Amino acid sequence: MAATIIETKNLSKRYGKLTAVNDLSLAVEQGAIYGFVGPNGAGKTTTMRMLTTLLQPTSGEAWIAGCSVARDPRGVRRAIGYMPDFFGVYDDMKVWEYLDFFGACYEIPEAQRAGLIDDLLELVDLGHRRDDQVDTLSRGMKQRLCLARTLAHDPQVLILDEPASGLDPRARIEIRELLLELSRMGKTIFFSTHILADVAEICTQVGIVEAGRLVAQGSLAEMQRRLTPHRRLQITLLGQLDEAQQALLGREGVLEVRVPEPNHSRHHPTLEVDFTGDDQAVSALLGYLVSRHVAVLHFTESMHDVEDVFMQVTKGIVS
Amino acid sequence: MTVEVAAPSAPKRQPRTLREALTRNPVVLKELRGRMRGARAFVLLTFHILVMSGFITLLYTAYTASANTPYSGFDRQLLGKIVFGGVVGMELLLVCFITPAFTVGAISGERERQTYDLLRTTLLPARSLVLGKLTAAMSFVLLLLLAALPLQSLGFLLGGVAPEEVAIATLVLIVTAFLYGSAGILFSTFMRRTLGATILTYSFVLLTTLGLPILLLALLPIFSFMGYSNTPSVVIQAVMYYALGLLIVTNPLATAVTTEAILVGQQTVFYFTVPVVDPNTANSVNLPMVSPWFPFSVFCLILGALLILVSIQVVRRAER
Repeated sequence: MAATIIETKNLSKRYGKLTAVNDLSLAVEQGAIYGFVGPNGAGKTTTMRMLTTLLQPTSGEAWIAGCSVARDPRGVRRAIGYMPDFFGVYDDMKVWEYLDFFGACYEIPEAQRAGLIDDLLELVDLGHRRDDQVDTLSRGMKQRLCLARTLAHDPQVLILDEPASGLDPRARIEIRELLLELSRMGKTIFFSTHILADVAEICTQVGIVEAGRLVAQGSLAEMQRRLTPHRRLQITLLGQLDEAQQALLGREGVLEVRVPEPNHSRHHPTLEVDFTGDDQAVSALLGYLVSRHVAVLHFTESMHDVEDVFMQVTKGIVS
Repeated sequence: MTVEVAAPSAPKRQPRTLREALTRNPVVLKELRGRMRGARAFVLLTFHILVMSGFITLLYTAYTASANTPYSGFDRQLLGKIVFGGVVGMELLLVCFITPAFTVGAISGERERQTYDLLRTTLLPARSLVLGKLTAAMSFVLLLLLAALPLQSLGFLLGGVAPEEVAIATLVLIVTAFLYGSAGILFSTFMRRTLGATILTYSFVLLTTLGLPILLLALLPIFSFMGYSNTPSVVIQAVMYYALGLLIVTNPLATAVTTEAILVGQQTVFYFTVPVVDPNTANSVNLPMVSPWFPFSVFCLILGALLILVSIQVVRRAER
């Protein structure tokens, strides 16, 4: 099992009577892509601001790469690259100057910075905009430049607040690919998002936060298993709906057989089967249908998608 | 692609050149790049020189017109003093009111541009951020002062200006810029918006530059009363003169004017004397006083340093 690189224990942040983050304990494994998901006002940004040493926790403790956020903020800053959910622009600054400035802020010697800037710009595909003014870049490009900035000091952990927020589909895909590339480079990525499709596609770990509390944590598959006590099979047929239904109802392990509502995307009769049994039992069920001369077109196990998981574990509470 | 690992912080060697000293702090380099880029700096400098030249021309014309009367003669040395005093006076006003404009958005501007959080999550120490902003602002103010040097030197050309006057004027200008620049930074760290910081900073500047003359006007009846009624004891007179001296050294304009008056009247640089009459013996006693430029400079340096220290503490502190 991979080592834990981000850990919080009973982390809380209160503003008077309002509790923005409530006893939040999470653990992120090294090399993970951790999706921090939750509705607006759930406490995602507050948690990230505490992790990045910008905000002092009211109680609890947090560590990044073994450095305490409260006691060793400099160590934490050395280990993280932070991208907030907005892009801070300096007027009259060129793209390379922007990276050079932040490189200097991370104490990278001047002699190393020129090569580093070229490498970073190449990584985020902005080499051709090196000498352009930052404020002339598109939003997607700015976001990629901001990501390059977070990498200037080669941090172990990237903390990204809504990295794909407000981007067009192409820019969103580019950012997602970039995150995967960074993960392959060994970075641990902790990012908040509203885009559940991104979570499903790239996250190895997910934390769902609501009203300041972490309501679920783990891999998406784990959550799906936890939320579903039985398997749900979807069987598409070429015909013989009634025969198939009858055959299934008497079979061991079959709990319920349903005919879903007609759908414009479905051109063939379909059955939904709640089933308990291991993979071999599922395979045997398919064999059984075929042996009964039922013409099966598709036989798949439908998983709860990330939206189902999100809707099941959250209650729509906003702190 | 290889992202190079930040080198472990090696012991820093001393900078060898002024450029290296200035640009070692990334904030100074960034600010100077931003400030000097494009036509803005050039236009500002040109405007500054034009205004100063216009003012000097006005002074010259006014003096020559008044000197060409049957009752007064043309005094080159006096004209030299007028020109020099005019330039320094204008520069003092510039330093009082322009320097804060360069620093008042130092931190609040970073908040407004949403770059403050980015900076605070880097390894840039709070002191480098604050001192970098101050150094960059002071550098530009010094450039404005240097640009007006040829106009100041007209005073030398005409005569009547001593080297110590130039040295003291330069010192007073620099320490005033430091104090008001630091005040701008302090209010900028406290306020979320630059507008609020501007209001507070200029209130401070107005209080210290115009507040004192107003206070002196209010105190004038007390000093006049001293002349009409029985003369108070030497101790009370001494206390009142020292109190007046203290008030003067909190104001750059009053300091400049008083220092110049002492330089002209008593030809002393560091101290002067004020005659005080003892009511019992009717003898005159010389009360020693320090020339205002010296305590003023110390006052500006100490207060400015304090303001900077507080600013660094505010920037260093994580939000609560």
